[in-house]
Amino acid sequence: MKKKVLATLLAAAMTAGALAGCGGGAAETPAQQPAAETPAAETPAAEETPVAEVASAPDDAISNLIAATTGPVDLTVWASEEDQDLTNKLLDQFKALYSDVTFNITLGAESESTAKDTVLTDVEAAADVYAFADDQINDLVQAGALQEVVANYTYDVAGENVAGAVEAAGVGGKLYAYPMTADNGYFMFYDSSVFSDSDVQSLEKMIEVADAAGKKIAMDISNGWYIYAFFQGAGLELTLNADGTNTCTWNAAGGTDVAQAIIDLTASNVLVDMGDEDMATQIAEGNVVACVNGTWRAETAAEAWGDNYAATKLPTFKAGGKDCQMSSYSGYKLIGVNPHSKNIGWAMLLAEYLTNEDSQKARFEARGLGPANSAAAASDAVQSNPAIAALAEQAAYATPQRVGGNFWSPAETLGQILASGNPDGTDLQELLDTTVEGITAPIE
Amino acid sequence: MKNALNAVGKYFKDFGTALAKGDIGVKLSAVLMGAGYFARKQVINGIIMCLVEVLFAVLCIGYAAPNLAKFGTLGTVQFEQVFDPLTMTSTVNDYDNSFLILLNSIISLFIIFVFILFYISNMKAVYRLQLKKENGEHINTFPEDLRMMFNEKFHITLLTLPAIGIIIMNILPILVFAVAFTNYDQQHMPPNALFTWVGWTNFKNLFTSSVTVTFGYSFKKVLVWTLEWAVFATFTTYIGGILMAKFINDKRTKLPKLWRTLFIIAIAVPQFVTLLLVRSFFADNGIVNTFCNSIGFTGFLKNIGLVPSNLSYIPFLTNPGWAKVMIILINIWIGIPYQMLVATGVLMNIPEDQIESARIDGANPLQIFIKITMPYVLFVTGPSLITDFVKNINNFNVIYLLTQDVFVTSDQLLANSNAKEIDLLVTWLFRLTNEYYNYKMASVIGIIVFIICAAFTLVTFTRTIKGDKEEEFQ
Amino acid sequence: MKKTIKFVIRHLVLLFLSIVWLIPILWLFVTSFSGYKGINTSHFFPETWTLDNYAQLFLRSDSIVQYPRWFWNTFVIASFSCLISTILVLMVAYTMSKLRFTGRKGLMSFAIILNMFPGVLSMIAIYFILKTMGLTNSHLGMIIVYSAGAGLGYLICKGFMDTISISLSEAARLEGASEAKIFWSVIIPLSKPIIVYTVINAFLAPWADFVFAKLMLNSGVATDWTVAIGLFNMLGKSMINKYFSVFCAGGVIIAIPISALFVIMQKFYVEGITGGSVKG
Repeated sequence: MKKKVLATLLAAAMTAGALAGCGGGAAETPAQQPAAETPAAETPAAEETPVAEVASAPDDAISNLIAATTGPVDLTVWASEEDQDLTNKLLDQFKALYSDVTFNITLGAESESTAKDTVLTDVEAAADVYAFADDQINDLVQAGALQEVVANYTYDVAGENVAGAVEAAGVGGKLYAYPMTADNGYFMFYDSSVFSDSDVQSLEKMIEVADAAGKKIAMDISNGWYIYAFFQGAGLELTLNADGTNTCTWNAAGGTDVAQAIIDLTASNVLVDMGDEDMATQIAEGNVVACVNGTWRAETAAEAWGDNYAATKLPTFKAGGKDCQMSSYSGYKLIGVNPHSKNIGWAMLLAEYLTNEDSQKARFEARGLGPANSAAAASDAVQSNPAIAALAEQAAYATPQRVGGNFWSPAETLGQILASGNPDGTDLQELLDTTVEGITAPIE
Repeated sequence: MKNALNAVGKYFKDFGTALAKGDIGVKLSAVLMGAGYFARKQVINGIIMCLVEVLFAVLCIGYAAPNLAKFGTLGTVQFEQVFDPLTMTSTVNDYDNSFLILLNSIISLFIIFVFILFYISNMKAVYRLQLKKENGEHINTFPEDLRMMFNEKFHITLLTLPAIGIIIMNILPILVFAVAFTNYDQQHMPPNALFTWVGWTNFKNLFTSSVTVTFGYSFKKVLVWTLEWAVFATFTTYIGGILMAKFINDKRTKLPKLWRTLFIIAIAVPQFVTLLLVRSFFADNGIVNTFCNSIGFTGFLKNIGLVPSNLSYIPFLTNPGWAKVMIILINIWIGIPYQMLVATGVLMNIPEDQIESARIDGANPLQIFIKITMPYVLFVTGPSLITDFVKNINNFNVIYLLTQDVFVTSDQLLANSNAKEIDLLVTWLFRLTNEYYNYKMASVIGIIVFIICAAFTLVTFTRTIKGDKEEEFQ
Repeated sequence: MKKTIKFVIRHLVLLFLSIVWLIPILWLFVTSFSGYKGINTSHFFPETWTLDNYAQLFLRSDSIVQYPRWFWNTFVIASFSCLISTILVLMVAYTMSKLRFTGRKGLMSFAIILNMFPGVLSMIAIYFILKTMGLTNSHLGMIIVYSAGAGLGYLICKGFMDTISISLSEAARLEGASEAKIFWSVIIPLSKPIIVYTVINAFLAPWADFVFAKLMLNSGVATDWTVAIGLFNMLGKSMINKYFSVFCAGGVIIAIPISALFVIMQKFYVEGITGGSVKG
């Protein structure tokens, strides 16, 4: 619980810092403001800046920009395959908004989950504005693929979005991206004709019920992102250090209990280790009646289960005789601006437009994606969406994803070994020790 | 080897002779490359040579020099960008991009190397002209020189274009493997960061294993499987192809063309389509598993211990052992039709008389196959067998497409260096660059793959090339 | 009687083998008519049949599926790169086979070793070399990628040319023909099978390659892609459940021209490859 308070405080501090950053940045006139200067550093001066000024200065900047723009503005935008129609619509609105300027906006398809792979291969060739999942933000910032959000022009990015999203869009106290959705975490989908409300409180109970019904519960255990839920839930830690390495205590006291719990849970063959794409098919086929997954599977589940479609927070599981609440990663989708963009001003304005309150609302209406914008998220329609409600419930146990690149492979393999029942019979402590060695390996 | 050394020695000796014994025109050529031609009234040749020299000078000053100056450090100026919130524009400093410096330096060095060779040959050519003149031989006019390019020197004309292509697509990229001696990885990625030379460190890492950096362990495992795979993949498809060709082309088989066409259809669908399809076909929850489950085959395999008891499916592509076998089987499926086509042609050319006489001597079909057909086929296709072997060492498609996103390693030490049980050196390298941006280690592995392949090829092809059998049929 | 049994068994074996070989292809074919867009894991044959997947490919182009464009792009790239590669291969093969000059054998060994170097390894370097020339995200760049290094694959073609009797070129030489003329009017016409073999191979490469194409055409804009990237993209994590049967339809469509090419050219193919590999 302590940790959560701390996180909230941190987020609040960050919000203040970023807010101040936008005021301070816009008020400062000399052109030679060093980029290295953090918004947080400006906090004292900016706190006295009246809000009205913050609002008026950006307008000057925009009109300056319009005046300074002579030729057509070329921009490339990457949005995920599913987001193409909506983004096209928003782009048209954006063009209409700044009708004095001719735009040549090219929309490309790049999934948020793979944006990093394409961007990092050649940052200079990447799109001016692109969407990505928040787990990639460290790598992207390190590779210089994200323009720091030093100023806001059309809305207050840090202030209007929920604190968690703003925290996820920042690295080292600086804001690097524009929150787009707040629904990229995971929770439990289930078929309410199989499970009752009380069944879904505990994973053991769920397995019992599903077994009786002859059905399966699916979770992608051999995946670092999901297996985190067990270890974090049992109070073991995984954190990112400043140098990009990880600190991990999964092999500390209690670690073997969690490992044993995963082996026991999967031994029944009711809780099965299954990849995300497989789950969609298996839900549709009626074999899987509950799964740990995110909003992107909501459509499949709702279609397959009809009125019985339900979602809730993750259940508890028994480790070493104690009930532990499964944790999760809270996930966000963000929009970033490429610092190598030729029209960086317009790219920033476009990124703001694609993430403002109206756009986020439109995104929810078109695709059911949970908004990161506080006002948009507060609407009744959003609140009554079962998947988003479940996410909100899980939020109390979720942590933002802050982890270095060395985590994924070892964690994935740990999941694979545990989910297949530790076939070589390796001593569990030894297994965890090796995993932790891999996770915490130094980066030369 | 000795011959080669002698040839190199002679090359430089000739250059020395030209420089020492040449007349004023030749000596001047050492400075102004066209001089020797002007002296023999070959004005156009002279002008061309001078132009080449000028072009080279311009390249040196404008391109090679600035890059080579930074070659030692690979750049020192870090990328810095300043964004001005009021004008909404950003300014970028004049930063160094380590990778571009490396690439351009390599290209520069290559150009300089080629120019030096060209320069030396030019000196020798000019000296030859002098000798001709002294001996009163005819000196070519420019049109005559041009005509030579289509006769005595036709090979130069023909090879120029392919050589340029090969230099751009093959030689320069191979030289970029100098990255193996730098620390180019995710922590040092241009344009945002710089990387620099680190000597042999990466090679040491590949051959040693510490507790956390398990590259040495993984390298050994991956190398062994790569070789195992190459042997199995090559021989199974090779022998399978011959057997199938024999079977189909047998006189007792009706409609051989129809059968052959049926098998060819399987390879007419592009490999990436069939492989991705087969991956879904054999997925843990795929259709084959559904089928095996419903006829009780999965249960049977569980009973005899081939499938772990806690699984409800056959882990075709997800368990290391199963995956290795499946990959080889699927490769047979893909490779046999090709080999069948090749073998069909070879079998058509088998000298019938030998087989006839063996038959008269009372040999049975199996004996004939082993004693006559196989040796002949082996003799004919031996070299291509080695080519196939090397191609299989680098068979990226089959392994990558069948296991990407599906296979998770259950060996923790492999996982710590991002390798998998079913990885070949190439696929490991590909994932190191594509997913982990570990360019330095990938380059080291690339160099090793190259050495292995080159060794295999050299051993076999020196035999064919040196053997001078090529004139046999002419 | 024994003969008949043997006859039947022989053909039953063949039948069995062809079924094994054709089952995945059949699955591809029937799934391309499936009304369910994801992977059907419980039935081999679709439960509902439809032509909608084909309609989606050809009639409903959007920013994800641009099949006619992909097909055209690939066709253009394949045609040009096959033309250039064939010319390059013939040039090198002829030089190595029929002309004699110092350093020939050294060059041959060098080329063979270079050719063993797999493209995957040097991909990134090639990308940046082409980028400095401004050729990424362009079809010209793709044509260069597929054809520039083709000269290295001269070996089989050279083997074939070795079997062409030298007396023919000698005769032409006596009549005063230049080397260039001998190449053009004596050797080329006799090399028809191997030319066909080279053309087919060079033409097919761009249809099957997705690794290079994905790296080079990285703008994310679907209209730039080749068939291979487009189809590969459909099996991405977020796409596979909505596009699997569309992917199958796309696979069937490219398989048709390629199979036709193979069946028609089978004779040349066999002649070319064996003529070449007889000598190795």
